[in-house]
Amino acid sequence: MKPLVFAARSLRREFRHGELATLAAALVLAVAALTAVGTLASRVESAILASASELLGGDLGVNAPRAALPDTFSSEAARLGLASSRSVEFSSVVFAGENSRFSEVRAVDTDFPLRGKLVVADAQGTHRERRAPASGEVYVDRAVLAALAAKVGGNLQLGGRDLKISGEIISAPGAAVFQFAPTVLMNRGDAESSGLLGIGSRARYRVLVAGEADAVSDYAEWARAHLPATASISTVADAQANLRTSFERGENFLRLAALLAALLSGIAVALAAQRFSRRKTEEVALLRCLGASRNEIVLALVLELALLALPACALGALLGLGMQQAAFLLASPLLGGFTPPIPPAPATSAFAMGLAVLFGFSMPPLLRLRDVEPMRVFRRDLPARVRRFDALYLVPFVVAALLIVLESGSSNLAGVLAGALLAVAVVTVLMTLVLLRLLRAGGKRVSGAWRFGLANLNRRRALTLIQVGALALSLTALDLLAVVGPSLLERWRADLPVDTPNYFAINLQAGQREDFEQRLVALGADNLSLLPMAAGKLVAINGKPVRASEDEKDSRANNWIEGEVRVSWSATLPPSNRLIEGIWHDDRATGAQLSVDKSWVEIFHLKLGDSMTLRFGDEELTAKINSVREVDWDSFRVNFFMMLDPAHAQALPHSLISSFHLPVQAAGLSTLSRDMPNLSLIDVNSILDRVRDIINRVSAAVTWVLGFSLAAGVLVLLAALAATAEERRFEIALLRTLGAHSRQLNAAVLGEFAALGLLAGLVAASGAAGAGFALARSVFRMPDYWPPFATLGLIALASAIVVMLAGLAGTRRIARTPPMLVLRRGT
Amino acid sequence: MLSAEKLSKAVNGPDGVLTILDDVSLSVEHGASLAIIGASGSGKTTLLGLLAGLDRPSSGTVSLAGESLGTLDEEARARVRRRMVGFVFQSFHLLPALNAEENVMLPLELEGRDDARERAASALADVGLGKRLHHYPHQLSGGEQQRVALARAFVHRPRLLFADEPTGNLDQRTGAAVSDLLFSLNREHQTTLVLVSHDPVLASRCARSLRLRDGRVVEDHS
Repeated sequence: MKPLVFAARSLRREFRHGELATLAAALVLAVAALTAVGTLASRVESAILASASELLGGDLGVNAPRAALPDTFSSEAARLGLASSRSVEFSSVVFAGENSRFSEVRAVDTDFPLRGKLVVADAQGTHRERRAPASGEVYVDRAVLAALAAKVGGNLQLGGRDLKISGEIISAPGAAVFQFAPTVLMNRGDAESSGLLGIGSRARYRVLVAGEADAVSDYAEWARAHLPATASISTVADAQANLRTSFERGENFLRLAALLAALLSGIAVALAAQRFSRRKTEEVALLRCLGASRNEIVLALVLELALLALPACALGALLGLGMQQAAFLLASPLLGGFTPPIPPAPATSAFAMGLAVLFGFSMPPLLRLRDVEPMRVFRRDLPARVRRFDALYLVPFVVAALLIVLESGSSNLAGVLAGALLAVAVVTVLMTLVLLRLLRAGGKRVSGAWRFGLANLNRRRALTLIQVGALALSLTALDLLAVVGPSLLERWRADLPVDTPNYFAINLQAGQREDFEQRLVALGADNLSLLPMAAGKLVAINGKPVRASEDEKDSRANNWIEGEVRVSWSATLPPSNRLIEGIWHDDRATGAQLSVDKSWVEIFHLKLGDSMTLRFGDEELTAKINSVREVDWDSFRVNFFMMLDPAHAQALPHSLISSFHLPVQAAGLSTLSRDMPNLSLIDVNSILDRVRDIINRVSAAVTWVLGFSLAAGVLVLLAALAATAEERRFEIALLRTLGAHSRQLNAAVLGEFAALGLLAGLVAASGAAGAGFALARSVFRMPDYWPPFATLGLIALASAIVVMLAGLAGTRRIARTPPMLVLRRGT
Repeated sequence: MLSAEKLSKAVNGPDGVLTILDDVSLSVEHGASLAIIGASGSGKTTLLGLLAGLDRPSSGTVSLAGESLGTLDEEARARVRRRMVGFVFQSFHLLPALNAEENVMLPLELEGRDDARERAASALADVGLGKRLHHYPHQLSGGEQQRVALARAFVHRPRLLFADEPTGNLDQRTGAAVSDLLFSLNREHQTTLVLVSHDPVLASRCARSLRLRDGRVVEDHS
C-alpha cells in the first residue's frame, strides 16, 4: 500500500461522492469565520487605536517633569523614520489690560499635531484646521477669552511678551481631560525666549512620535532603556484614562464574538468528523479484511484528512479575508475613515487553528478505527468501540481550551467562557440521560410515530448525547451572540445617559453654595452634585514618612507623593462609588476615618486599618482606612481617590466642587461665571462627545462582528442538523417502505427533534444567562447588569422550534429519495 | 494449503461462557474446494473467520500455506491475507463511495501496484461488467454487485478464496449465475475455495463438504 497515493485516491472518490463535503464545508466555514472575525476585530482595534492616537496627539509620548528631554529622544525618532514633536506645558498668568487669568499654557513646535486635528475658530467664527501658532501668536480657548474680555485678533501678555490671539481653540489633540485651568496654545520658540521656562519653573516636557507601528515599538523599547529617572512613557492605550474602559470593553466584545464564532465552527467540524468516522467503520473493517495493516489505515486516514484540510483551510482563509473586507468597508465610515492594513496574523492563526480543530476533533474517532475487528465484515453487530476510555478523547477539550486561551487574550474572558461551556456540556449530558431514562419508562404511553421518534433517541444513546451536547453548546454560543452580546452593548451605551454631567465647577466657596445651586436650577441644570474639596499632601503611611523614590516601580506612587492630593468628605457614599471592603463610616470610631479607591490599595500596598497622614497647610491629619471603594471613573461625576469622614474633615480649609448637566445651548452660564469670578467652569462636552463617539463606533463595529458570527453560527447549526437528519435516512426509508405516509414520518422526526431542541434550548439559555452575568461582572465591569431572562426564555422556545423545523427540512429531502435507493445503499 | 487442528471458540455471554465452535479439525489441499454447511447459528461464519485469520481461536491452530496463524500477530496475519486470500461476502461489501472499477482496484492498491486500473478493468470484463466500470454500487443490481465482488476477490490472484454465503442475498437464477461464475473463476485461477452456505445445491458443487451443528463437525462428506 502506498499510503499517500491511497489517501489521495480515497479523498478524490469520497469527495466526489459527497462523503467528505460536509467535513470540508465545516472546515472552510470554521477557518473563514475565524479569519473574518479575527481580522475584522484586529482592524477595528487598529482603527480605534488610531483614533485614540488623535487624543494623544501622536502614537507615543515621552514625558519628563522639570527638565527637557535630551536631543537623542528626537534624533532616535528621526533615525527610525518617525515624525516627532516637542511640547512643554506650564501654568502661568495671562493678562489683557486690567484682566488676568491663571492659565495652563501649552507650547508646541511647528509639527504639532502629529495625529488628530487642531481646529481653531477665527475672528469670524469660522472653524479651520490649523498647525501650531506662528511665533508671536497664540490660540486660546473660550474661557480665557471670556475671562480676559478679549476677542480673536486682540492681544494678551504672557511672560512679559505681547502675543496676538489669532484663534479660539475648538478642539486640540493631547489635552488632558480634566484640567483645572483654561488653555493657551503658543509657539515653543516664544515660550523659550520669554524666560517662562527658567530654573524653578514647574514645566512638564514631552516628546511625541508618530509613524509605522514597528518603528514606534522599537522607539518605545529604546526610550525605556534611555528614560531619565523621573520621566515616563505614555502610550495610546493610556493616553486618556477615562477612555480606556471604552477601548477595553470594545476589544473584549470583539474577542468574545471571534471566540464564539471559532467555537461554533469547531463544533461543526467535530460533528462532521464524528459522522465521517462512523461511516468509515465498515470501510476500515473491509480494508482490514483485505489485508491492510492498522498503521497503514491510520496513516492513510491522517493523510486523507491532511489533503482535505490544507486546501479547505486555505480556501476558508481567503473567503474569510474577502468577507471581512466587505464587512470592514461597510463599517469603516463609522470608524472615522481609518483603513488599517490587513494583518496577516489572524488568517495564519485561523489556518493553524482550523488544522488543530480538525485533527483535534476528528483524530479520536478516526484513531479508534484502528481497533475495528476485521470480523465486522461478517457481523455488523460487533462493537466498533473496543476501548471505552481513551486519552485521545481529551484532545478536543485541549484544543477547545487552547482556542479559548489564545483567542480570548484575557484570563477572565477565557475563564468565564470555558466555565460556562463546560457547565452547559455537563448539565446537558446529565439532563439528557435523565430524559432518556424517563422516555424509556414512559415512552410506551406515547402514540405511534412519536413513540418511534422518541425511541430513536434511546436507541442511539451515544449519538443522542453528542448531538444534544453539540446543539446545546452551539445554541449557547448563538444565545450569547444574539441576546446577551447586544444587551451588554445596550447596557454600555446607557453608561452615559443624556443627563451625564457636562460641566464641572471648581473653587466654589462655602458661602456661595446656596446662591450657586439656585442659579443652576434656574438655568435648567440637573444631576447636580456638590462635594467639598481640600488640597493636601501625603506625608506618611502608618507613621512612616513617604518619599518619592527613583527605584519605585510604580511611577503612579511618585506622582501622588510629589503632587497634591485632593480629598473630600460626605456623610453618604457618593453615587458611582461602590464599597468593596470595610464600612463607609463607623459611628463608634473616635479617630478620623478614611476611604480609599482600590487603585491606591495596589499602588501603596494598603490594607484596612492602615493609617495615612495628610498635611493641609500647617495642619496634619492622620486617618485610619476603614473602607475601600471601587470608583466608576467613567461616570463624569466628581470623584475622589480619598474620602474622609465629615466629622473630622469639615474644619479643613476647603472649597466646593460641583458637577452638573446643562443643555449645551443653555444661556446664562457666562453670567454665572462673571458674577462669581472665583469660579472655574470646566466644559467637558467635547470629552463626553468623544467617549460617546467611541462607544458608538465600537458598538457599531461589534454589532457587525456579532452579526457575522451569528450568521456563521446559524449556518453551522443548520449544517449540523442536516447531518443529524442524514443519520435517520435508513429508518425513514424503512418506514416509507413499510407504508408510512409523510404525516407519520414528520411526526416521528418532530418528536425526536422537539425533545432534542427543547432540552438543548433550555440548557443553552440558562448557560448564556449565567455566562452573561459573569461576563458583565468580571470582563465588562458592569456590576448592575442582568441578562434579559424573558428574551432568553423566548429564545429557548424559538430554538426548539428552529431545531424542529431544521430537522424536518433535512429529513424531507431524504424522504423524497426513493426508499429503494437508500435501502440498497445500506445504513 | 489450509489446515485447522482442534479449533475452539468460546465467548462470554449473558448466561455464562458460550461455546460457538468446539474441537474442529480440517485440512484442504491446494486447488481443492470445501463447503461448510449448517443451519443459522451452527458456527459456520465463525469457523470461516478463524480460517481466514480474521479472528483468534480460544484454542487450536490454523495453518495457511504453511504459516501458522496462531504465532502471527494481527498485522502479520493482515499481510498474509493481503498476499494470499480473497473474500466474497453475502452482502457484497462494496464501498458505496467507489464505483465498480475502484472497488475492484482496492486489493491491488493495498499491494501498491501501479497497474491497478488496467487489471481491475480486465477483471470486470471477465465477469461480464466491462461496460459498467463507472457505475456505483447503488446503480447496480444485486447480481451485478456480487459479480463486482467476485472480480475484486480474484483480481490479485489469491491462492485461497473464502466465500460467505455468496448467493445468500440473490434470487435463485441470479444466484446460480453467480455461483457458475465463482466456480469457473476458481477453476481458471486454480484457487483453493472455502465456501460457507446453507444451500445444499451450492455446497454440492464443492469437492468436499463439512456439516456443522452446534459448533461441532457432524458430517464430513467428500
